[in-house]
Amino acid sequence: MNEVLLEVDTIHTFIGQFHILEGVSLKVRAGSITALLGRNGAGKTTTLRSIMGLNPPRSGSIRLGGEAINGRPAYEIAYLGVGYVPEHRAIFRDLTVEENLRLAERKRGDLARRSDFIMSLFPDLKRFYRHPGGKLSGGQQQMLAIARALVPDNRLLLIDEPSEGLAPIIVEQIVAALRQMATETTILLVEQNFALAAQLADEYYILDDGRSVQHGRMADLTRDHATIDKYLGAG
Amino acid sequence: MIELIQRRRGLIAGIIAIILFGMWASTQYEPRVLASILLSGLTLGALYFLVTSGLSLIFGLMDVLNFAHGTLFMIGAYIGFTLYANPRLLLNTLPFGLALVAGWILARWLPANSLPSGHRRPLWVAAVLVGLFAIWNFELAPLATTALSSGGRVPTEQAQAPTPIFIARALGLAVAGVIAGAAFLAGREHTRRPERRDLIVPIILLALALLIAPLRLTLEEWLLSLDSNTRFLLALLIGAGGGAALGGLMEWSLIRPLYSRPIYQVLVTLGLVFVGTELVKGVWGPGGYFMELPAWFSQRGPNCPSPNLIAWLQDNCASIDVLGRPFPSYRIFIIALGILMFVGIAVLLRYTRLGMIIRAGVQDGEMVQALGINVRRVFTLVFALGAGLAALGGVAAAPFLGISPGLGQEFQLQAFIAVVIGGMGSFTGAAIGSLLVGLARAFGDQIVLTGIQLPWMSEAMTFSPSIARASTVLIMALVLLLRPAGLFGKKE
Ligand SMILES: Nc1ncnc2c1ncn2[C@@H]1O[C@H](COP(=O)(O)OP(=O)(O)O)[C@@H](O)[C@H]1O
Ligand SMILES: [Mg+2]
Repeated sequence: MNEVLLEVDTIHTFIGQFHILEGVSLKVRAGSITALLGRNGAGKTTTLRSIMGLNPPRSGSIRLGGEAINGRPAYEIAYLGVGYVPEHRAIFRDLTVEENLRLAERKRGDLARRSDFIMSLFPDLKRFYRHPGGKLSGGQQQMLAIARALVPDNRLLLIDEPSEGLAPIIVEQIVAALRQMATETTILLVEQNFALAAQLADEYYILDDGRSVQHGRMADLTRDHATIDKYLGAG
Repeated sequence: MIELIQRRRGLIAGIIAIILFGMWASTQYEPRVLASILLSGLTLGALYFLVTSGLSLIFGLMDVLNFAHGTLFMIGAYIGFTLYANPRLLLNTLPFGLALVAGWILARWLPANSLPSGHRRPLWVAAVLVGLFAIWNFELAPLATTALSSGGRVPTEQAQAPTPIFIARALGLAVAGVIAGAAFLAGREHTRRPERRDLIVPIILLALALLIAPLRLTLEEWLLSLDSNTRFLLALLIGAGGGAALGGLMEWSLIRPLYSRPIYQVLVTLGLVFVGTELVKGVWGPGGYFMELPAWFSQRGPNCPSPNLIAWLQDNCASIDVLGRPFPSYRIFIIALGILMFVGIAVLLRYTRLGMIIRAGVQDGEMVQALGINVRRVFTLVFALGAGLAALGGVAAAPFLGISPGLGQEFQLQAFIAVVIGGMGSFTGAAIGSLLVGLARAFGDQIVLTGIQLPWMSEAMTFSPSIARASTVLIMALVLLLRPAGLFGKKE
């Protein structure tokens, strides 16, 4: 078993006065894909945002490679090697594809170094290199959002619902890309499409109502229909 | 085709309105009158643009409505004018500021962040006390007024503290800065350990302060011995730089803690208008000043007015002939300055990394942060940039409009109207809005002067002077009816 890269320990996160996460714990092993599952509104996005420092938890701890990162501003957490691919993509619509990628550089030359790898995963981006991000199709925007996280050397990628609202043929392309990426980095993946998560992930965590309720090996979960029905709806 | 017309009806209506207005204006006024109205409008538009560009960038990026932007414009005018006519005031206060900042930065080398945060309050109190003690009995007013009323040419040594005392005060402020810096750091866990090369900045600042102190008189004489053109350029530079520093300080100290409470932010910037105006009155007095035009724009003689721009480069006449009518050459300079700044900012936004971050941040600051960019620092930078532009406008306006504590207010109001017309947060919109407001003011002024003569009337209609101001509000209302988000605003 690989070492633990990310360790989230009973975090409590508030949005305004709402207590959204009421004790979420999880561990992500280096070099694996870990799926974060749960119904709509279970708190998956909030968990990723807590890790990223966008909604800092009020209590509990988050460690990356053994170092505590909770309470640090988001840009420092990014600098420690965490890439974030948010729900609904959040690419910069007025910036070209190239500018979107350049913005993600942390050192000069990041993009030049990684360009070939990125373009081999998503050839479409090469074609629309100088087009504004807002002019891309939904699938291409998702590719751009993922590509952006690949520009610097990230140790951990937080990816939120990459298949949401996309045509099956695009989803296939993205799944293939995630597989490729998993060979060089670690991924914490939120995915509503259970079949897809089952295909990709090594381990899983289930959130329900702001709490982590169950975790284990993905291979075991696919046979555990009771759990799937209970926490993931008719998945 | 029809669909295109429908989609672009605002643009088409705008173009038709401009053509109709142009046709009317060209029957109403002779070409030379029209030309000078247009140039006057452009002059005002350029000045408005220097205010609106910053206002709009700041609003677009950080959603802050900076009511104090006109005040920064006014303070810029005072700082630039002071350097131009009375550098004594700056030379006798600048070292204090430098020493204070140097002390503040040096505090990072103390193990201050291991102090419990309970020490913060007593440390702040101590810093304020030490600071007050350091500037106890320091007389500012004579530095400003005596020299200015004597045209800045009589070196009033008695207005100036003796050097040893002055240096002691500066060092006292450096100590106050160290204590304040320690108060700021107390109890903060995640502060980066400073490296040795970080020492360069505070040491340079402190050295500069200690260097200026004994050389105050010499520097003053040297500055005043420079020709007016050089002093004018320095005034633009120092005025803009001073405004930028004030803007950065303002964002960092007062705006930043309130990003989650926008109403308080508005109140703070409103409050700063009064604080700034009173401070200016306290230092420079409640009356106004007049800034002489530099030599480039003030020659008179047999060759004047210059027949064209090329000739003006030679003879530096106060006015230039435009279709047989003299037009002040300084206003042409203001137009050029406005265009230069427009191009400069456009290039910055389009081609630099900072510009890219700003454009991205306007859409989604949080995502920029998640990419590893310290957005807060960019906020401070953009605030400083916007304030610097406004202050630059203030210096440029000073020889043209005169300087008084009320200078900012009028500009603030018109600039807000221009920004709303152009669309909040849009840079192009700020430029177009400023142009429209400037032209409206110029035509308004002309109409007040001569009235309007329509073919079926025997006598010209006359208007009261407030029409020029009201016309811009009218345009704003019209634009908002057609496009609720302004000409270039994003539809919400
Ligand atoms: N800005 C907000 N204000 C109040 N409640 C919110 C906000 N954002 C999310 N929530 C609530 O937090 C809970 C978790 O949301 P989220 O993390 O987005 O869930 P998931 O990603 O699992 O669908 C939901 O019940 C949602 O209604
Ligand atoms: Mg979600």
